[in-house]
Amino acid sequence: MAEERDERLVQRNAFGELMAMATENVVALAKIGADAGDLMVRNLRLAGRRDIARLGQQLARTEDKLESVLQEVERLQDELRAERERSAQSNGAHRSRTEST
Amino acid sequence: MNPARAAVEFTNTILTTEDAPIGTTPRDVVWTHRKVTLYRYRSTRREHAVPVLLVFALINRPAIFDLRPGNSFVSFLLEQGFDVFLLDWGIPDDEDADMGLEAYVCDELPWGIRETLRTAGAEEVSLLGWCIGGTLCAMHCATADDGAVRNLVLLTTPIDTTGSRYSNWVARDSFDHDLVADAYPAVPGRMVDFANKLLKPVQNFWTTYSDLWDATQKGTARVDAYQAMARWVGDNPPFPSRAYREWIEWMYKENRLVRGRMRLRGRRIDLGRVEQNLLVVTAGADHIAPPSNTAPIFDLVSSEDVTHLDRPGGHIGLMAGSRAREEIWPDLAAWLEERSNP
Repeated sequence: MAEERDERLVQRNAFGELMAMATENVVALAKIGADAGDLMVRNLRLAGRRDIARLGQQLARTEDKLESVLQEVERLQDELRAERERSAQSNGAHRSRTEST
Repeated sequence: MNPARAAVEFTNTILTTEDAPIGTTPRDVVWTHRKVTLYRYRSTRREHAVPVLLVFALINRPAIFDLRPGNSFVSFLLEQGFDVFLLDWGIPDDEDADMGLEAYVCDELPWGIRETLRTAGAEEVSLLGWCIGGTLCAMHCATADDGAVRNLVLLTTPIDTTGSRYSNWVARDSFDHDLVADAYPAVPGRMVDFANKLLKPVQNFWTTYSDLWDATQKGTARVDAYQAMARWVGDNPPFPSRAYREWIEWMYKENRLVRGRMRLRGRRIDLGRVEQNLLVVTAGADHIAPPSNTAPIFDLVSSEDVTHLDRPGGHIGLMAGSRAREEIWPDLAAWLEERSNP
């Protein structure tokens, strides 16, 4: 009973508005706190969260490029293997024709 | 049990939840890229030609597929002779703020499929997506034209978000998702989890614990089941801010997927291009992706082989509850089996 009542409550527009306002305020306060903390750390000439995240982003971009190169190498390996198989088959067919003549 | 002893047992159960073993089925890492990892589960009886690739949501961890010994969907599939892979999105951090939906749909998912096929030596795969993972899989099938996906299984997947409880909160103009995404490069998982729990506040914040207390007093508490689920529920990875912004804006505020207005890397996501054999599973009591949010997919896809299973249960409980092994997993395995051989 209480469960149903509370579920109806959270479905109301007023609750939705309350959630939107609460989220906005909590996030704004958290951002002010995080920015102030980061500013303090960076003014002490220490690596802050943002600096570490930037390094992480550079690593991620490098990994993106490495992944593209690896996929290209694998694609070329597959192509080469298929080409070798094709040429081995055609050589085999040519040899058997030569032997029969 | 006397109340003092029950209180000690209850407290012990709550405090040792983090030690509960989850996701224990042996597996090997096949491929990694940034935080994403592709796993292959070890098996001695791979009988079906088409491997199964499991894809979970961007919130919570995919250990739900392999919750605990005796209640693991992964183990069940392995017993049925499937070659099982899992694409784990990992735990994003601030440096992954640039990962939007296109990174998941156009890069990570197709690359995971590619590695699955190479490793299994197969030409086709069955994609099984759950919740947001299902939406990402459907988007992928709507853009990819390589024919690599033979079967598509969508579990409690949001497609048309109209009228959902979540939509009532985040689709309104006063909910400023940009503010959240600007403030957090990776939106804290705890925040998303708190909002999800508020959808069913009494059940999540009270009934769960009162039920455990009652069962502890009676001596009937299933501690392993409770702890495994509680540990999984409490493990909330951050949501990369770009993906969060796009998910809320495109799926909830603008409902682009069903309106045919979703574009990733300049390509329109047209669900009409989904031609795979399609199995859609909905849960009657799902409050996150209710059946009415999934059903519109039937009018949009071009698949000729379409099956719909609508069962009682919740968003997660349907697949991971104690009755799933008897009530839903055999149907999924049977459906896949019929479509997993040459």
